[in-house]
Parts: sequence; structure tokens; C-alpha cells
Amino acid sequence: MHLKNTLTRYGAVAQLFHWAIVALIITQFVLAERAEGLRPAAKIPVLATHKSVGITILGLALLRLTWRLLNPVPPLPAGAPRWQDRAAHVSHFLLYALLFITPLLGWFMSSARAFSVSWFGLFTLPDFIEPNKATYQTLHAAHEFMAKSLAVIAIVHAAAALKHHFLDRDNVLRRMLPVAERTPHS
Amino acid sequence: MRKYPLLSYLFALVLICGSVAFAATQWSVQPKESKLTFVGTQAGAEFEGAFERFTADIKFDPQDLAGSRFDVKVETASVNSRDSERDDTLKSDDFFAVKQFPTAHYVTERFTAKGGNKFTATGKLTLRNVTRDVPLEFTFEQKSGSAWLKGLAQLKRLEFGLGAQGDWKDTESVGNEVKVGFVLLLKQ
Repeated sequence: MHLKNTLTRYGAVAQLFHWAIVALIITQFVLAERAEGLRPAAKIPVLATHKSVGITILGLALLRLTWRLLNPVPPLPAGAPRWQDRAAHVSHFLLYALLFITPLLGWFMSSARAFSVSWFGLFTLPDFIEPNKATYQTLHAAHEFMAKSLAVIAIVHAAAALKHHFLDRDNVLRRMLPVAERTPHS
Repeated sequence: MRKYPLLSYLFALVLICGSVAFAATQWSVQPKESKLTFVGTQAGAEFEGAFERFTADIKFDPQDLAGSRFDVKVETASVNSRDSERDDTLKSDDFFAVKQFPTAHYVTERFTAKGGNKFTATGKLTLRNVTRDVPLEFTFEQKSGSAWLKGLAQLKRLEFGLGAQGDWKDTESVGNEVKVGFVLLLKQ
């Protein structure tokens, strides 16, 4: 497998970014859900991990976007209806946007509560927002809304990939996986 | 006394010199310009707070360290860490237990000059009815009639029983080390 994208497939680097971010986002929902019911003392370490993972996603999103700009992605399969191409482009754009917006809102909401974000205890991020309860509540609500939007769009995105794989029997899902392409006969 | 003018003169002189030599300057703290702050760590990230209400009885003279003394009383319920939920936790029985122990008390014992305007002091802090040695490092900058006293102390919260029982014992969540800082504007 190539490191870089080809005209028909995503390369190893793009695939690694894609699936690493998928795994981290699922981790984020699990951690956020788990923190919900805990008492404050037990909540702190869970939320600390959630914050560290979120900053990791932000960093990976930045690297991934840079890689994508340097290394164009394979075009969408030919022959699909125009609205599907349009929908694919819009959802990809929104997914990228939310990969940045959601962690940034998480970072700012932490600052608004005077809880600075530490990345796995190795370094602490600066606070750009003054502590304020009302600001915190707004940012918290926005963070949650963006996370839920990300989940909804990601589910639609995954459903579309599965539709391509099982119904259209094309290579759309396979080109993001370290597996061989289907030959036209299979 | 008229019989012994010289003697009474000497007596007065001794009294005056004595009071100068054996009582360091009494300063009054200017509350508006003065603050008592602390830095704790939570899940690896530092957070800052302050005690809004405290009184400090400061007798200090760089030339008379033996006669110098700090006596500081802090109202524990005046803790402000810029998050009301965290403040409620700090005031609760798990931490400061402000209803039972409304005051923290610090008294110096001995001062040492460290050259220039730098000094150290040994002293005892009583918090939650637990008394422990807490050393201070500070600078004293005097300018005609007023002075800035700026310093730092480090303590371990668990030694004073702050969050030592149950939920908050884990120092990964809430660090044991707490830095206390003070900046006091003093007037004569």
C-alpha cells in the first residue's frame, strides 16, 4: 500500500488519520457518558482524559487537513447522482469543521470555568477565555450540540459508505481500508 | 527626679533606645493592594484562587529580625477559585470545613536574612485544627513609610487533612502540593 493517496485509493497516512480519529471520537463519547454520572472527585480524572483526547483529535485534525491539502484525495466514484456528490462534499466539509470546532469549544468551556486543559499532564494549554458562569454554560451547550451533530453526520457518512459497499458493490469503503480493491467481475 | 538630672536623662535614653531596638516596626496592611493567593493542581493543570478576607499583623524590621513577627488570620470561607462549584467543594467538610474551622492561623517563629531584600521565616500554620511547620520565603522592599512584602510558601494539603478522607485523597485528581503566595502593601 502506498503512503500517499492515488487516483483510486486513500494512502496509508490518510487511512491512519481517518481510523485513528474514528477510534478517538468513539472514546470521547464513552468518556463523556461515563463522566456524567460520577461524583466530582471521580469525574475529574475521566474528564481530564476526555480533554487530553480532545486536544489529540484537534492536533490530528490539523495534521490531517495539512496532509489532505498537500496530497489530493481520490475523486468520488463517477456515475453517482449529482445530489449524492453534493451531499458527500458537504458532509466531508462539516466533519472536518466539527473536528476543529468541537475540541476548541471544549477547551474554551474549560477555561470559562477556570479549569485549564492539561494534555496528559505534560503541558497546560493557555486560557483565552475569562472565567464566567454564563459564558461557560453557553460554551458547554455549544460543545454538546457540536459533538451530537458530529455523531449524526458521522453515522450518515458511515451508512453511506456501507450502502456503497453492500448495495452498489463499489470500492468506496475499500479504498479507505487496507484491503485490495474489488475487480469489476467480483 | 530633679535631684538626678543626669540619671533621669540616661533612663529616658535607655527607654527610647530600647523601644527602638527591641520592637520592630509595626506595619498596617493596606487591604486593597494586598492579596493572599494559592495555586493548586487539578488533573495536572494548575488553578489559581485567593482568600478574599484575612488579617495580617506584621511587625518587621530588617535590622531587628528577632523582634519581627507575622501573625496572619485567614477566613477560610472567603476562598475564591473562580468557580462556584469548586468553591463549594473547598468550603465543604471534605476540605476547609469552614463552619467548624472558620479561621486558618499562621505565626512566624524565626527570621533569617538571605542577602539583599530576601528573607526566610519559619512558622506554624494551623488549619483544620492541625498545626504544621510551614516555611516562608519573601522579599521586603521599603520606601519611605511604606513597604511591599511579597512571598511564597509551599504546603501539602493532605498533611492538614484537606480532602484526606474518601473521594479526594487521590493526588492524581487534586495535587498534594499547594503554593501559597502573598503580596502585601504595608504602611507605617
